[in-house]
Amino acid sequence: MTELISKLRTEIEKLFSEDRIDVFIAFKGADSPLRPQPAFYRAGNDLENLEYNSLCQNNLGNYLTRYPNETRIGMVVRGCESRTVNALLVEKQHLRENLTLIGIPCQGIVDIRKLIKRTGEEITAYSEHQNKVTIKYQEKKHTFAKQDVLHDSCLRCLHPNPVNADFLIGEPLPEGDPSLVREKVETFEALSKDKRYEWFSQEAERCIRCYACREACPMCYCTECFVDHNQPRWTESSITSAGTHAWHIIRAFHQAGRCTSCGACERACPVDIKMTYLTDKLNEDILEIYSFEAGMDGETQPPFAAFNMDDKKRFVV
Amino acid sequence: MKAKPKIALFQCQWCLYSESDQYWVDHKLPPSIHLTKTSCTGRINPLYILNAIQGGVDGVMISGCLPEKCHFKEGNLNALRQHDAFVNLLDYIGFERDRIRFVWLDLQDRGRIQQELSAFEAFLADLPPSKPLATRVSASIGGVND
Repeated sequence: MTELISKLRTEIEKLFSEDRIDVFIAFKGADSPLRPQPAFYRAGNDLENLEYNSLCQNNLGNYLTRYPNETRIGMVVRGCESRTVNALLVEKQHLRENLTLIGIPCQGIVDIRKLIKRTGEEITAYSEHQNKVTIKYQEKKHTFAKQDVLHDSCLRCLHPNPVNADFLIGEPLPEGDPSLVREKVETFEALSKDKRYEWFSQEAERCIRCYACREACPMCYCTECFVDHNQPRWTESSITSAGTHAWHIIRAFHQAGRCTSCGACERACPVDIKMTYLTDKLNEDILEIYSFEAGMDGETQPPFAAFNMDDKKRFVV
Repeated sequence: MKAKPKIALFQCQWCLYSESDQYWVDHKLPPSIHLTKTSCTGRINPLYILNAIQGGVDGVMISGCLPEKCHFKEGNLNALRQHDAFVNLLDYIGFERDRIRFVWLDLQDRGRIQQELSAFEAFLADLPPSKPLATRVSASIGGVND
């Protein structure tokens, strides 16, 4: 058990003994060492299998909306998760006073696909130490630099430190480099119009409409999604190109000014469709026009909710 | 003769102040223009615009009221923000942003909707025929939706 996990454990035990929370959301070890699962601990639960490492793929903010506002929730948050929590608080999905956030400055999430690509599927053990990741594959140990196997959205993460945590475990990390965020959008924008459309449709048409991206996304919390609606049916729900295009465009658009670039959608996608290039672009537009970055504080309304008469001068035909 | 470009017109029901304009839009629109009347531009979900594009229209025109003239006080401000970002996104993935046009009408703009529509029609007629995103297949030839 690493130092981090034992510290986390003491904190959780303290929270429960002081009766400050009803449930604590964290990760637990699962059958496969590659996939720690979200875990929901209640008072008196055994914290033996508590896990926290760079393989924790989910954005735990996702589970915030599943509890009523009165539930006192404790949660372990990384940079993106804390911004997600803020974005959800702005949308009144929970009460700040009923949340206890334990922040961990995040060194990035390891992309399982990158590990598997380098070795093979049957990875039986995983450990990490500072900037090195060690896995056991077919009884042999392989060590990689963490930087090489980090998930794409973590490579260009801007704010690895939690912004609203009640207390931090570990030292704050330096902020990310904004030019890296542009990189992907820039390469896409540099293509010609036809090439861009071709790229988009190739990516979108691989979609099998499993909606894993929606389920993994903490900001997609509508009880009835527009694609599930069938009276009237807004879009085709089958895997036709019209249907998949519409899903990818509108899914991304619903995140405009709300997406915190955690990349959970891409990590959840079973067919590895790239989608953050869409939300990154929208984030960039929103930052440029309205100087708004989702989740940086728990009060500012997102631009689509905060329109006002000052927009008047932008009404030019 | 080349077929006339198809236009989807989304019209806020309050934006045409002159009765003759509204009469013309309601009853005398050429068949190449498909009218959808909405209670406010704020009611136009970007999904409607996308649906029109996927259904194969050449252009989308949205007509609404000027900011301080909105019947619902601020519906069109909401629409402006959303549609701005949406058109940006469509442009980003390779759909020409010029195929979507906004017209904000004022009290003295009698007859302007006709001029705007014909100008838009002329503009669309000159565009190359390629239509990205027009992917919907009609049910009559094996598609799943119409």
